[in-house]
Amino acid sequence: MLLFLMRRLMQGLIVMFVISIISFSIQDNLGDPLRELVGQSVSEAEREKLRDEMGLNDPFLTQYTRFMGNALQGDLGDSYFFKAPALDVILAKMPATLELVFAASLIIILVSIPAGVYCAIRPNSWFTRLILGFSILGISVPVFLTAIFSIYLFSIELGWLPSYGRGELVPVIGGWESGLFTQDGLLHLILPAISLASIMLPLFIRLIRSEMSEVLHTEYVKFARAKGLKKARIYFLHALKNTMLPVITVGGVQIGTMVAYTILTETVFQWPGMGFLFLEAVNRVDTPLIVAYLIVVGAIFVVVNTLVDLLYGLINPTVRLARSAQ
Amino acid sequence: MSLLEVEGLRIEFPSRHGTAVAVKGVSFTLEKGEILGLVGESGAGKSTVGNAVIDLLSPPGVVAGGNIKLDGQAISGLSGEAIRRVRGRRIGFIFQDPMTSLNPLLTIETQMVETIMVNLGLDKAAAYKKSIELLASVGIAEPEVRIRQYPHQFSGGMRQRVVIAIALSGDPELIIADEPTTALDVSIQNQILELIRKLCKERDVGCLLVTHDMGVIANVTDRVAVMYMGDLVELGSTEQILCRPEHPYTQSLISAVPRTDIKLHRFPRVEYIEKEQGRHIDVKNHWLGQKEQLSELNAEISDRALLTVKDVNLRFETQSAFLEKNRRYVQASNQVSFEVRAGETFGLVGESGSGKSTIARIIAGLYPPDSGLIEFAGQDITRLTEKQRKPFRRQIQMVFQNPYSSMNARMTVQDIIAEPIRFHQLAESERQINSIVADLLDHVGLGRGAGVKYPHEFSGGQRQRISIARALATRPRFLICDEPTSALDVSVQAQILNLLKDLQEELGLTMLFISHDLPVILQMCDRIGVMKMGTLVEVGDTDRIFSDPHHEYTRHLINMMPRVENLSRSGLDIEASVAAHS
Amino acid sequence: MKKTMKLFIERPIKRPIKRLAGAILAASLAVGAQAATLKMAYDSDPVSLDPHEQLSGATLQLSHLVFDPLVRWDDNLQFEPRLAEKWQRIDDRTMRFTLRKGVKFHSGNGLTSADVQWTFQRLASSPDFKAVFEPFAAVKVIDDYTFDLVTKEAFPLVLNSATYLFPMDSKFYAGLDSTGQEKSLLKKHGDTYASKNASGTGPFIVTEREQGVRVDFQRFAGYWDKQSPGNVDEIVLTPIKEGPTRVAALLSGDVDFIFPVPPNDHERIKRSGNTDLVTLGGTRIISFQLNQERVPAFKDQRVRQAINYAINNDGIVKKIMKGFATPAGQQGPKGYAGYVDDLQPRYDLKKARQLMKEAGYEDGFAITMMAPNNRYVNDARIAQAVASMLSKINIKVDLKTLPKAQYWPEFDERSADMMMIGWHSDTEDSANFTEYLTACADSISGWGQYNSGNYCNEAVDALVKKAGSETDPTVRAQILQDVERTLYEEAAFVPLHWQNLAWGASKNVAAKDVVNVMNFPYLGDLVIKE
Repeated sequence: MLLFLMRRLMQGLIVMFVISIISFSIQDNLGDPLRELVGQSVSEAEREKLRDEMGLNDPFLTQYTRFMGNALQGDLGDSYFFKAPALDVILAKMPATLELVFAASLIIILVSIPAGVYCAIRPNSWFTRLILGFSILGISVPVFLTAIFSIYLFSIELGWLPSYGRGELVPVIGGWESGLFTQDGLLHLILPAISLASIMLPLFIRLIRSEMSEVLHTEYVKFARAKGLKKARIYFLHALKNTMLPVITVGGVQIGTMVAYTILTETVFQWPGMGFLFLEAVNRVDTPLIVAYLIVVGAIFVVVNTLVDLLYGLINPTVRLARSAQ
Repeated sequence: MSLLEVEGLRIEFPSRHGTAVAVKGVSFTLEKGEILGLVGESGAGKSTVGNAVIDLLSPPGVVAGGNIKLDGQAISGLSGEAIRRVRGRRIGFIFQDPMTSLNPLLTIETQMVETIMVNLGLDKAAAYKKSIELLASVGIAEPEVRIRQYPHQFSGGMRQRVVIAIALSGDPELIIADEPTTALDVSIQNQILELIRKLCKERDVGCLLVTHDMGVIANVTDRVAVMYMGDLVELGSTEQILCRPEHPYTQSLISAVPRTDIKLHRFPRVEYIEKEQGRHIDVKNHWLGQKEQLSELNAEISDRALLTVKDVNLRFETQSAFLEKNRRYVQASNQVSFEVRAGETFGLVGESGSGKSTIARIIAGLYPPDSGLIEFAGQDITRLTEKQRKPFRRQIQMVFQNPYSSMNARMTVQDIIAEPIRFHQLAESERQINSIVADLLDHVGLGRGAGVKYPHEFSGGQRQRISIARALATRPRFLICDEPTSALDVSVQAQILNLLKDLQEELGLTMLFISHDLPVILQMCDRIGVMKMGTLVEVGDTDRIFSDPHHEYTRHLINMMPRVENLSRSGLDIEASVAAHS
Repeated sequence: MKKTMKLFIERPIKRPIKRLAGAILAASLAVGAQAATLKMAYDSDPVSLDPHEQLSGATLQLSHLVFDPLVRWDDNLQFEPRLAEKWQRIDDRTMRFTLRKGVKFHSGNGLTSADVQWTFQRLASSPDFKAVFEPFAAVKVIDDYTFDLVTKEAFPLVLNSATYLFPMDSKFYAGLDSTGQEKSLLKKHGDTYASKNASGTGPFIVTEREQGVRVDFQRFAGYWDKQSPGNVDEIVLTPIKEGPTRVAALLSGDVDFIFPVPPNDHERIKRSGNTDLVTLGGTRIISFQLNQERVPAFKDQRVRQAINYAINNDGIVKKIMKGFATPAGQQGPKGYAGYVDDLQPRYDLKKARQLMKEAGYEDGFAITMMAPNNRYVNDARIAQAVASMLSKINIKVDLKTLPKAQYWPEFDERSADMMMIGWHSDTEDSANFTEYLTACADSISGWGQYNSGNYCNEAVDALVKKAGSETDPTVRAQILQDVERTLYEEAAFVPLHWQNLAWGASKNVAAKDVVNVMNFPYLGDLVIKE
């Protein structure tokens, strides 16, 4: 266990190191940060002077060494736009994103499991076809359209839900201000969470359906039937538990991916999270923020994967973590 | 009134391409306390009958005619809920593979207690108590500890005991055991069969034992029903079926069982089914023999061994840990030494986990040993780089137990067989490759047209032929066969083993033949090595090993060997043989 | 690690604003029963609370809320007195201003000439604003309420520049902050006191600010302009990046006032019973430049004219801009000094082909074109339309569109034969266009900095230079009109249209009365009806 976590920590550090090199080396292609910092009538000479001041004219190696030196002390540089440590800025926005991802995951879990199980148990019913038809639709419609359409329907036409932002927040612990504990905050969460969930939902329904169908054909499910067990127990204990093993593995990766997908959702709904922040940072060529975001997301991926492996080991008694780390 | 009456049972599998009739009007009865063997090869419909009794036919199978009565009461055509009450409560079921019939994610306790609660209506505490008793009665030590464990913590035999305990947990009147010992080692197999027999007799429970294995039939059944292609061709007492089979199919089936008393030149075929496929190879004019004349090569080194295995050790880490002292290992190969002479077949025998497959993989270069030496034709091949090993890869080929998992399902058979030819650049043109592959397919009896198909379109026996063709494609000198027929029916086994024998004779192949099946080893091998827990306990000529085993473990294995010919010689003597084993 | 875990929301800088706000809130409650809250959504929020950090629309919008200029533009592009009560030209180089008395900063300090001088000096050090104030020599304090703006040479645009002079509270910004930096420090990229704290004389105080998420304003109870009809006592500004979401927020009533409105949504806002669309002709010219150094053919006036004749400005405005732009034949829009009514777009394909033939390019040639894809309204689609129009005169265009962040470096490199640029004159004056876009490139004076076409006509430069010191408005206008005529005649560049401005507002918000073509709504004067 300890060995497993230590290995993961090492892997995580390597991942983040690689990300930092890659993101650092592409930053020259992102544009000129100075352009976004100054007005149109500022002369080229003036800009050059500022660029020098900010060390942007130094050779790559010098810049990267400086960056690494600071990064080792937990300092990923200051955001040009926010004029604050990039990591602080991102961490301040992280609760918003994590709440959104959490809510979307919840929706995915609550919808995909019953739907997937239903499709597996009743492969020929009309409702199954309806679900699968919808999931094809869901895969093919871009999230941007889903989001805009839901805003027009629920905010404008019906007036039930707010169209943007996070709504009322209450402080929870430390600097975490949450919208999960106010009615207003929850109302604001609904549309973005559904939009975000809609990206992954079809995938999960199909995944659960196919895994479940497979499990339903296994010997132990047949044996469970031969034992005289009731259907509910066979489906929801014997079959579902086994179905969830591969789903958890895939799901973990997908939740990581979802953090990346928040870029789109957050932009549409003006959700003040990391994803939106990142897109803005790209537009503004706020390179320290871009690099820091990529590193943080890399870290999230590593953490999520570690949690998934831990969870997997918890459910699957045949897996010992030490071995799975190899 | 019999316990189970099956009358005119007809089972169909309708599909878009027409209806397949799996069982064509089968009738038999089964009494309380009686064990009825239902025997036949794959596709005979024997398992389908067993499944139909408790309405567990896999879709789209349906009972299209006939009656099934349990204790005089019709149970075919019952509603879902009514048949559920029969399952577990009145009929217990034991499946073939104990590895897959228990849910891997639930403890034994969960799986037993739920069964008892639903079938006997007991509360949790009472169900737990009964579970412990049942586990004890099927011979599981420390049931209070074991019941908390997961299936993977049990060995195969122990798992099958658990499955039997679960099958008995509803106090059923009838047990259907579908190939209950096929997946188990010989010694375990005997214990399990004995257990089933004992429990049936003690509890006066009827048992329908579905199997393809004549040895199993001989050991435990009272009566036998023989099925062939959906028909019940013969029904009689075990003694009558084994010693005086009347139906020609039964006769040829019994004669195809590898004998344990005398060594035959070739395996008897199940003549009733088919004319032997494949044809003899004219080596002199054939590609397989063109490059080097193996027999000549063999003659050169006849005084020496072609393969020498010396003091080979290998251990696997079963639990990794940061600190050396916390790590656990299993010694898969312990100071193993033997030689394989040119042109002979050397058998490695032992139970699962004895390390015989590990040795095969070490020789093939798939695992590097921790220490020791492997010499092939006088050259040290223990530790070679990939490049150095390449010529040896061509000369040493492997045939695996499960041919399907060793083939890429997305490649055609043509490509699968051509792959090693291309890799070793053994042909000059694509056209030549095509003709070689077609020839090989012909020789293994699949026909030249088989190349365009994919592996999943073939049966298990056919796939094994594909893998043999692939192994031969490099014109190997040395063939390692790792349980090549253990998953196959007797008739297919006979074909494949005969094919290997022919090839060996005509090409001068040297073979390392690994099996847990002693009769097969007896028929195939010139010399034998017996392995137990990573150690080679005894090596000797086949005749000597079988007639005069030196090591106690070898004696034990030979004693456990199911013997059909015992019956044909000495009549119905089950009680005596069971007594001798226990 | 612990240090970096501290969350951004907690940053200590915000506290002083809050405390200040508390004190003022009590006072402002007395203002009136008709007080109202304005929720508004822009596409972005200001980078900083420091009005000198960046010369951009968002900064100027903020400046008009939190600060007040000396003078400001009215509806007719005339000057309206604000903190300067009156002014008077003393000589060629000096303009004397009289400050309004009794004006208080948010901190409670009184406004004096010293604050103006302090602000001027700070502006002169700002990389963004120093160009605007380059012609000025000094602010000379006469007394507390009188000062002179002295220019280096005779300069006609003193008042234009004065619209950029928002006096800051020099006492408030004196001394050191908690990190030991000068409170007055002006730094583009760094945490400064002035970027997080503000004290101006404007109608609103920033009470809460989470960058990129929201800015809250409270009306300043001590605001000097008691005549203002404005009744908004609280503003919540939310940046909403996505156009459709912004429109949806307005239509669903989540906000009352939005800018900009994407052309596609104009109809929807007009049709809705609860919202109004307010549009104004804009001042930002969208144009293409023809690089004469990269393409020899562009040196030929006839080819440049042919291109102008080949492009259907009206068609682009109608089809792509949905009528939401004014087709342009020159640089400066109507109302600017150099505007000439006759200089209209000239679409005539026949003529264009004729000119190409005359120039010997009947068979055309191939060029490269670059345009941004997220900078101007429909920029990429406009470029595509222009490219296909040019194919009619056999000019084959290889078009590449880029996000603005990548576009500007390419523009600086002049990496394509035809490049798009939009320009808004910081001084709301015609000369500014030529100085930056069409003057001969001169790295010392900075003229022609955005002239990717390398058009160069010494005569035009001389005229613009002359206008730069001509203080008689009529004579000056004449000169600048001559410039526009010459540029038109020589087809120096390809004008397309002026981007119009559109705001969306709830019916009860009298947005029409406070918006202007410069796009800094005077929200202090905004009335929200019950």
